[in-house]
Amino acid sequence: MTDDSLRAEALTLGYGERAVIDDLSLTLSPGRVYAILGPNGCGKSTLLRAFARLIRPKAGKITLGGEDLHRQDTRALARRIAILPQAPLAPSGIRVSDLVKRGRTPWRGLLAPWSRQDHEACEDALRAVAMTELQERPLAELSGGQRQRAWIALVLAQQTPFLLLDEPTTWLDLPHQIEVLSLLRQRNREAGTTVVSVLHDLNLAARYCDHLILFGPRGLVAQGAPDDVLTEANVDLAFGLASRIIPDPSAGTPMVVPR
Amino acid sequence: MRGAVVLALLLIAATVASLLIGDVHVGLAALWHGLWGGDGPGALTLRIIRAPRAAVAIGAGGALGLSGATFQMLFRNPLAAPDIMGFTSGAGLAILVAITAGLTLPLPLAATVGGLLAAAMVVLLSHRPGHVTPALTLVLVGLGVGFATSAFGTFLMTRLSTSAATEAQRWLSGSLAARDWGHALQVWTMSSVLATALALQVRALDLLELGDDLAAGLGLRTERARWALAATGVALAAAGVAVAGPVPFVALMAAPLGARLTGSRSMGGRLAAAAGAGACLTLVADLAARAAIPGLQLPIGVMTGALGAPYLLWRLSREMEKGEL
Repeated sequence: MTDDSLRAEALTLGYGERAVIDDLSLTLSPGRVYAILGPNGCGKSTLLRAFARLIRPKAGKITLGGEDLHRQDTRALARRIAILPQAPLAPSGIRVSDLVKRGRTPWRGLLAPWSRQDHEACEDALRAVAMTELQERPLAELSGGQRQRAWIALVLAQQTPFLLLDEPTTWLDLPHQIEVLSLLRQRNREAGTTVVSVLHDLNLAARYCDHLILFGPRGLVAQGAPDDVLTEANVDLAFGLASRIIPDPSAGTPMVVPR
Repeated sequence: MRGAVVLALLLIAATVASLLIGDVHVGLAALWHGLWGGDGPGALTLRIIRAPRAAVAIGAGGALGLSGATFQMLFRNPLAAPDIMGFTSGAGLAILVAITAGLTLPLPLAATVGGLLAAAMVVLLSHRPGHVTPALTLVLVGLGVGFATSAFGTFLMTRLSTSAATEAQRWLSGSLAARDWGHALQVWTMSSVLATALALQVRALDLLELGDDLAAGLGLRTERARWALAATGVALAAAGVAVAGPVPFVALMAAPLGARLTGSRSMGGRLAAAAGAGACLTLVADLAARAAIPGLQLPIGVMTGALGAPYLLWRLSREMEKGEL
């Protein structure tokens, strides 16, 4: 049986002496929407970066399809896992369409011409984020929400089964946060992409994600369906915050209300 | 596209002007005649003195321009040019050492080794384990390495005979005097090979512009790509220095000037524009250096210095306004 999961096995991560993530085992199964949650400094982003092979584990390993990430070919891996970092750098004067085209890099040979598949992947990605009309505009002229959608289009054009996003909603206002999260979920439902995001807003995470992974200052607190993870005890363990959990009157998902 | 035509026309005009103007005046008709055969003092001046000199200026200027553009894009900093970061001084010093010690090393090789050593020193001195070195730190450490290199060069010159020291001094400030077709062939061959190598790395530069994390996520081995680009950039600077001396500021100014003239957005276009602008700058500076004051032949470095120093000051003030300094 082939196993397409992204898996952390006895994983320890950290910078220098300090271990940020200690002896963690975790499985990200294909086709689901995950949120990684927790207070600042708990190692959420570090974990996400490790899943994208941007940092090397201090101990343990991460496997994709049963094979250690660090043993896989860089380009081949970039066709299976895409990551949108927290603060990507925008080349000055770049247009949305040129930005999105760079997402095709892992699929193109050194001297390969721009192919039909490349073109279609970019069109598809622009459509998914509703940026088709704006594709000729310079990125710098767009609003914050539009810019974030353009960056997401870049990683969608990469056409990977796994899509990792580091705080994709952090600098956005509420309507744009909802826009981003719902387009990611829609992508998951339509294309089967596994989406893994580091998020801050617990209530939005519960609403838009299938599976929450909650960290506290001392490591993993709970993981599973939003109803099982967002309990008063878990929120207290993770954030040291006294709260009540009530059903979201609109979506029915759990909603954290600080006491 | 229109900008590219403007740059090409400027380059042609600068080339023609540097063939015509000088102590021996050559007319346009005589130029045509003199380049393709013909004899007499005018033709000799053209074929033996001015044409190779212009060819060297174009080759060296293009190489320096490409080198500057590479480092400026690699470090995302308009100050990060090989002449500011001490790489060209390193290349120049290596040549001076080779000449003083009487080594029979090919000069481009000596220049490349010197440039790489200077670059290695800059990287080592600015490295702090576990931290990403900011571009500005590299620039400042590079300035320091540049000063140390110059000081050592000056010391070496005190060990030379007066005439050799004068020659070395002239060379170290950058000069295109007495260049022959051999020099032109050398710089053109080396630049073509290195420009091809750089063209193969354009996609890596494109990705690095997005930041290292995203570049790595898109399948680029960022560390390796950075080293390869830096080595290509140093070798390009060395190719220029080996025939023209460490001409200051051409590498610093070429890419911004080229971008201003062509408005090119693609990476390949911007690199080509930097090469063209570097060639133009070098040709014009050399022409001005030898013809501005009748009877006095200044080294080209004096001219690029006169252009580059105000540019550097303006650039610094811009960076300060942006809060980058």
